[in-house]
Amino acid sequence: MAKSTIYAGLEIGTHKICVVVGEAKRDGAIKILGVGQAPSRGVRKGEIVDFEKVQTCVNDALVRAEDRSDVMIRNVFLGVTGAHIESLNNRGRHRLPDEQTEIGEDDVEEAKEIARSVSIPQSNVFLHSVTRQYIVDGQEAVRQPIGREGRVLEADYHIIHGVRGRVQNAIRCVREIPLEVEDVVFNPVAAAQVVLTREAKMQGALMIDFGAGTCDYVLYEDGMITASGCVPLGGDHITNDVSMALQIPNGRAERLKVEEGSVLYDEVPEGEMLSIEDDTGLILGEVERAFLNEVMNLRTKEILIQVRVRVEDHLGRLGAGIYLTGGVSMMKGVDVVAREVFGIKVTRAGSAPVSGITATFENPQYSAPIGLIRYAQILDSEKPFLSPLKRLGRRMQELLSSVTL
Amino acid sequence: MVEYDRSQSPEGASSAAPRICIVGIGGAGSNVVDRITLDRIVDATLVCAHTDVRVLGHSMAPVKVQLGAELMKGIGAGGDPDLGREAALFSRDQIRQSIENHDIIFISAGLGGGTGSGAAPVIAEIAKNTGALVLVVATMPFSFEGRRRLAQAEEALELLQKRADALVLFENNRMGELILPKDGIQKAFNQADQLIAQSLRAISTITTTPGLVKLGLDDLTSALANANGRCLFGFGEARGQNRGTEALKKALKSPLIDSGRLLHQTKNLLVHVAGGESLTLVEVEGVMKQLGRHVPDQTHILFGVGVDAKLGDAVAVTLISSLGLNQLNAHATAAPPSEMLQPRAEAPAHVPTPAPGPKREAPAKKAPSAYAPPVESPPDLLFKSEEFAAVPVAGDAFPLNSLQAEASKVPVQPQPLLQEQPVAQIEDEHPFIDEPAPPVIASAPVFAPAPVYAPAPVIAATPETAHIPVRTPAARELADAARSSKESTLAAVVARSVTLQTEAAPAPDDLISFDEAESESETTTISATAVVARKSTADSQQTFSLGEEDRGRFKDTEPSIVQGEDLDVPTWMRLKKKLRR
Repeated sequence: MAKSTIYAGLEIGTHKICVVVGEAKRDGAIKILGVGQAPSRGVRKGEIVDFEKVQTCVNDALVRAEDRSDVMIRNVFLGVTGAHIESLNNRGRHRLPDEQTEIGEDDVEEAKEIARSVSIPQSNVFLHSVTRQYIVDGQEAVRQPIGREGRVLEADYHIIHGVRGRVQNAIRCVREIPLEVEDVVFNPVAAAQVVLTREAKMQGALMIDFGAGTCDYVLYEDGMITASGCVPLGGDHITNDVSMALQIPNGRAERLKVEEGSVLYDEVPEGEMLSIEDDTGLILGEVERAFLNEVMNLRTKEILIQVRVRVEDHLGRLGAGIYLTGGVSMMKGVDVVAREVFGIKVTRAGSAPVSGITATFENPQYSAPIGLIRYAQILDSEKPFLSPLKRLGRRMQELLSSVTL
Repeated sequence: MVEYDRSQSPEGASSAAPRICIVGIGGAGSNVVDRITLDRIVDATLVCAHTDVRVLGHSMAPVKVQLGAELMKGIGAGGDPDLGREAALFSRDQIRQSIENHDIIFISAGLGGGTGSGAAPVIAEIAKNTGALVLVVATMPFSFEGRRRLAQAEEALELLQKRADALVLFENNRMGELILPKDGIQKAFNQADQLIAQSLRAISTITTTPGLVKLGLDDLTSALANANGRCLFGFGEARGQNRGTEALKKALKSPLIDSGRLLHQTKNLLVHVAGGESLTLVEVEGVMKQLGRHVPDQTHILFGVGVDAKLGDAVAVTLISSLGLNQLNAHATAAPPSEMLQPRAEAPAHVPTPAPGPKREAPAKKAPSAYAPPVESPPDLLFKSEEFAAVPVAGDAFPLNSLQAEASKVPVQPQPLLQEQPVAQIEDEHPFIDEPAPPVIASAPVFAPAPVYAPAPVIAATPETAHIPVRTPAARELADAARSSKESTLAAVVARSVTLQTEAAPAPDDLISFDEAESESETTTISATAVVARKSTADSQQTFSLGEEDRGRFKDTEPSIVQGEDLDVPTWMRLKKKLRR
C-alpha cells in the first residue's frame, strides 16, 4: 500500500500569492488537493518589501487553500526569488588514499565537502547545492560512484546562493503568520521539476519562468542542472511601459495588456484602434493597436535578451529547446518573440505530471507552487527513511537549533 | 600666477613620470625606508641617512649617507638634536648629491631623537633648494619617551613646517594605543612603519598618477591643513564582488581613523578611489555614499578618481585627513564606543563652518599657505653656504615644479569624470549619429552652420546620457531591430512621447542656445564651445545622480542596472533617446 504525504507549497509572487496543497504518493504521483490564491501586495521584483501587507495576503491565500483541500497547513515549502540569487558550478576533487582502490561513502562525502567549500560573498547563504555528476578518473557523468574502482573522484556541484538577509526576511515573514518553513527553494528549480520532463532535461532545455516581478530561469544539460538565475524584470515592467507610453494608470494598463495586448505588431492592420475605458465604462481615449503591441514587444524582447545574455554559453546544446512558463508566458505572441531571440524551439508549458483539479495545473501561473510539492517529494525520497519517533527527535533538534540561532 | 608652458606638448608632459626620492633620516626614518625597500611598492630612489654606521650597515636602502663622518665618527647623535644638525651640515654636499635631480622628495623621520629632529630640517632645506617638492612624513614620539624628547620634537616640527611643502604627521601614541597590549613592541613599531610606508605610497601615487578626477598637491595640503594637526590616514584595497565597499571598509579600519569615528570632526577629507579599467561609476558612487555616513555634511570632501591599469580588478580607496592634536586626544580618551554617534551630533558645534570658499579657484596660492612659508619672510636659514646664498630663498615663489604647476593649472573641476564619459560615447556612437530618427532630421538644418560640432551639443544637452554607456551588443541588437522594421510604429512612439512628455524641453532649449551663440560670434568653433560650456554649467549638479530618469512605479525600488543602463526605465524611452542622437 502506497503511503502518501501531504505537502504545502507557498509562493509569494509579485502578482499573486499562492498556496498549493498536494498529496505525493509513494509511487511518485502527485495529486493537487487544493489551491489558495490571493492578489499580492507589498512585493516588488519578487522580494518582500512590506511585511504586514504580505502577511495579510498570505493569510487570505492560506485560508482559501485550507478550505478547499480540507487540510490544516502548518509547514510549507517556501519558494523564493530575487535579483540577489546567483548560481555557479564548482568541482571538488578528492584523491583516494593510496592503499584504497574502491570508492566508499566517505570519499564521496569528502569530494562533496570540497566542492561545496566554494567561496561566496560573506553575506550570502547557500540555497541549494545540487550534485550534477561525479567524475571518476576523468570519466564523466557517473551517477553512483560508490563501489567503483578509481583513484580520483570529483564531485560536480551546482550551487545556488543568495543574500542571507533577504532570504531570512522571507522566512521570518512567513514564520510570523505563523507557519513553519520546511525548506526554502529557489522558484525556478521547483518549477522545472514539473515543467520539464526527464527527457527534456536529458536533451537539454532552458526553462524560463516569466513572472510579474522577475524572470527566473533554469538550464538543464544532459539531465544536469547547469545554470540558473533571476533577471529582475518581468510582466510588471511591461505594464509599466504601457502605462507610461499611453499615460494611463497602472491598473488600466495591466488590464489592457492582459485583455488586448500582444507582442506581435507586424501583422496588425494599420490604423486599427483600441478604445481605453475607465472603470465605469466611459471611454478615456483611443490607442493604435500596433503602438501598444510594439511597446510590449520591445520590453519583452529586452527581458528575454537579458536571459539569453546570461545563458549564452550553453545555448548550442539545448535539444528540447525553451520552455516558457509563468504568468507572462500566456501573453499572445511571446513564444514567437522568444523564438526570435533564442533561435530555437519554444514551448509554452504549464506543469504536466499531476492529477487533481485540472483547471489548476494546466495554468502556467502555477508551475512554481506545484513544483514546490514535487520538489518536496523528491527531497523526501532522497532522505534516508526515518521512523516516526526519530523524525520527532530530529524535529525537536531542529527547533532547538533554530531557537539558538 | 604660474604660466602654462606652451612649448611643452601635453603628451610629453604626461609621459615623463616624476622622479621621486624618499629619504629616511634617523632610526625611525630608516626603518620606514627599509619597509618600502622590502615591499618594493614605490618606484623611487631610496636614501637612508643616519649618523650611526651600524644602523646604516643594516639598512636595505640602495643609497646610504653617513652624516658627519668626521664629526661623529660613526656613532649616533645620542638624542641631541644639535649634534644631529651639525652632522647633517657637515655632510650637506653628500646629501645634495644623493637627492638632487628629483621632482618630489619625501622625507621621513621620527622626531624627538638626535638625528631625526636635528638633521631632518637641514635635509629638508637642502631638498627645497634643489627645486624639488618636499613632503615630510614625520612621527611624534611616544609619551613615555618623556617631556624632553617631546619638546625637541616640537622644535624640529616648527623648523620643518617652514621648509616643507606639506607635512604629514603621525602620532606614535595613537598608533601604539591601537595595537593590542599583548602584542610585542616590535609589532607595534612594525605596524607604525607599515602605515607610514603605505601613506607614502598612497600620496605619491595620488599626486603623480593621472586621474579622471585629479587630485593635486593643493588638495593634499588643504586636507592636511590644520593647526598642529595630526594625519588621519586609511588605505584599503579589495577585489571581487562589492570590492568598492570592501576597500572602503578596510580603509576605515585603519587604526588612525578608528573605524570612521575620527572622521566626524574633520573639516577636510581627501578621498581617492583608484581602480583598473573595470572601475564603474556605480562603484564610485557606492563608495562615496557609504563614506557619507561617516562624515558630517559640512566636511569638505576632496574627491579624486584614478584609473590605474596596474591595479587590475582591484579597487583601492585612500582617505587622508587631519585632526588637531587636542581634538584627537580628547576623542581618544573620552569617547567610549557606546557614545559612538555622539560626536557626530556634536560635530557641528566643534567644527566651525569649513571654508566654504571655492577652494579650487586658487590652488597655487593655497598650496604654500598650508605649511610652506610665506614668500615675504624667508625662513631663518640653518646654514649659510655660498652656493645657497646665490640661489635666493625667494625661489620659494615658484616652489612648485613643473609637475605641480601642471596639476594646478589644469583646473580640477568637479565634473570632468562625468563630462568625459559622454564625450567618449560620442566617439563610439558616431555611426549612429549619421542616421538619426525622423524627428531629429527635422531639426538638423539648424545645426548646419556647425556640422562638426552639431552632434556634440545634442548629447551634452540631455543630462541622462551620462548613464547610457557604450552600446552593448544586446542593446544594439534591440535598437537595430526597432530601427530595421520599416513601417515600425516607433516613429509614432517617439513622436507621441514628445508631445506627451512635458519635460522633453532639452531639445528646443538646445536649439535656442545655439542660435544665440551663432548670432554672437562668427566662427563656428566658438559658437559650439559656447553651447557646450553653457550646458555644462547647467548640468553640473545632475550628472551624478542615477535616479533622475522616469521609472514609473519602480521609482522607489532598487535599480536593475545592467551595463550602465537602468532597465527599470521603459525600453521605448531608452530606445527613443538612442534614436534621437
